[in-house]
Amino acid sequence: MKIWTLQKKRVGDWMAALRAAGKEVLAPCEADGLLRFRPIDDPSAIAVRPGPCPFPFKEWLFPPHQVLFSYQFEGGKVNLREEEVLVNDQVGLFLRPCDAAAIKILDTVFLSDPPDGFYQLRRSHLTIVTLGCRQAVPSCFCPAVGLSPTSLEGSDLFLWEEDDRFLVYGVSEKGDRLVQVSPDLFEPGEGPEPDQLPSPLPFMERKEPLTNVGQKLQGLFESDLWQEVGRTCLGCGICAYLCPTCHCFDIVDESDAYSGIRCRNWDCCAFPLFTLHASGHNPRPDQPSRYRQRVLHKFAYFLQTFQQNMCVGCGRCSLFCPVGMDIYQIVLQLTGRCLV
Amino acid sequence: MNEERAFFDHNGLYTPTLLRVTAIEDEIPAEAVTGPIKNFVLERNGIDFRPGQFAQVTVFGAGEVPISLSSPPSLSDRIILTVRAAGFVTGALHQIRPGDVIGFRGPCGNGFPIEPCIGQDILFVAGGIGLAPLRGLLWELLFRRQDFGRILLLYGARTPRDLLYQYQIPEWQEKGVEVFQSVDVGDGVWEKRTETPRKVGVVTTLFQEIKIDPQRTVAFVCGPPVMIRFALLGLTRDLHIAPERCFATLERHMKCGVGKCGHCIVADKYVCMDGPVFSLAELEKMAVIEEPW
Repeated sequence: MKIWTLQKKRVGDWMAALRAAGKEVLAPCEADGLLRFRPIDDPSAIAVRPGPCPFPFKEWLFPPHQVLFSYQFEGGKVNLREEEVLVNDQVGLFLRPCDAAAIKILDTVFLSDPPDGFYQLRRSHLTIVTLGCRQAVPSCFCPAVGLSPTSLEGSDLFLWEEDDRFLVYGVSEKGDRLVQVSPDLFEPGEGPEPDQLPSPLPFMERKEPLTNVGQKLQGLFESDLWQEVGRTCLGCGICAYLCPTCHCFDIVDESDAYSGIRCRNWDCCAFPLFTLHASGHNPRPDQPSRYRQRVLHKFAYFLQTFQQNMCVGCGRCSLFCPVGMDIYQIVLQLTGRCLV
Repeated sequence: MNEERAFFDHNGLYTPTLLRVTAIEDEIPAEAVTGPIKNFVLERNGIDFRPGQFAQVTVFGAGEVPISLSSPPSLSDRIILTVRAAGFVTGALHQIRPGDVIGFRGPCGNGFPIEPCIGQDILFVAGGIGLAPLRGLLWELLFRRQDFGRILLLYGARTPRDLLYQYQIPEWQEKGVEVFQSVDVGDGVWEKRTETPRKVGVVTTLFQEIKIDPQRTVAFVCGPPVMIRFALLGLTRDLHIAPERCFATLERHMKCGVGKCGHCIVADKYVCMDGPVFSLAELEKMAVIEEPW
């Protein structure tokens, strides 16, 4: 792995060089009173806090609203028009390691056969620059899902803050190319292997493994515990919308007498309509059964289908749940490892 | 800034093909308990499919829904959809006229296993509009009748008026299909007739009327969720057919049909891609007791 150093005060110059090379730089900043990834020119607007940015990067690969195609009625005919998508080369700057790992999970869903063209196009234009975590926040539990504050999963470049500079690890060729955009800003450097960096890993409390609980959870399918934990859920969906790996979507038409669009919008398995048949039958008729689906999909089913958990331990769902449901604690409770 | 414009004509994952509806027939009148059911005859347009597969059907201006294909692939010039006006999109489908254009995306799903059934006896168990996907398979078997042993059809609906495809039954019997029918509630006339053996009661009561060899019988089940559940129970418990020999086709709320949107997930399976046809052995492994059917 190649290692460089980049002076912090030169990050703005690097961003300018990337822009000059035709790339759009997206970094966490304040937008509409929230912290989220937005295209950014001014490095002073970058708002990096400990822990992950509240809004994950997901919205740039898998927008909350995507027109799939449109149509016009003309006499007795229907004219279809494929949706034209505008794509820039994008650089995602200062994602956290959990968010980079989450994009790999989205890849397994959207790029597996048959690949989703909308995702594929955006993904192929994205380079991911991750910032390792020098500090964790109390909701973080990445060690529990086999990741760490310095894991490289999904990253193209990996940055580590050290005084007034960054150590820059070249993880992929795509990442190296970003360095080559302005090679004079990067000096060849030396550093330990990323897993030897002084990360907060030893001090993180939430690290009981959640990676091997699939069978145990499925064995509990009919347990009363689901009633106990699931009744708390309001079904608001904030966990799914802020989850960097949740990817369920609805497909709807919006139309009038002359034309229409077919679009897809984010959806959430906690919603009662998610599984409602037209006949009125609902295989998941109550909140506990829907919450069970959420937990089992993340820690059992997805593991069987794609050989990995569908959770990166970012802790957003616990942090922002209006009724304080904490998926880490709940899985521990279900698997008999705590009594909360 | 360099901007790349890309058009999505590559794999058309979410874009339907336009098909003309050549004819529309009333199957079940609006006064029946299940409401109106119509047959929509589509031009075939070279679309290849297997019995048991389904399509994502678009009514432009309303939306898209999964509909099973109720005609056999060997009927080369058409595709038939048998559709109940159950929701918003199927309601809009019932409003269209012959000559109108609909969108067709698919075929989707796995379909019924046919080749492993060669030389076997086939038992169909259908409830209500659940006969629609099974009819495609039934006709396909009849097109090569000599490849299969006995063919039995147990068919139940709520009332005599709700029974589908009654006009085809004499032809099926002529080709050696043993047809047994039931209704939940009779009308005083139907139960006195004798063209087919019949009973008032749920479809599983017909299990008592037949004798089969469980070692050489393959069963195909489709109907409402509760019926599928009890039919599978009866097939294994009363008729002693092995779970590997019982197949059900599941209904799920679906959106994308290509294993992305997450709506139809049951355990580690996407019903739209891995199903909709599953053997009872698979369903048992999916370990979903409350929510499978």
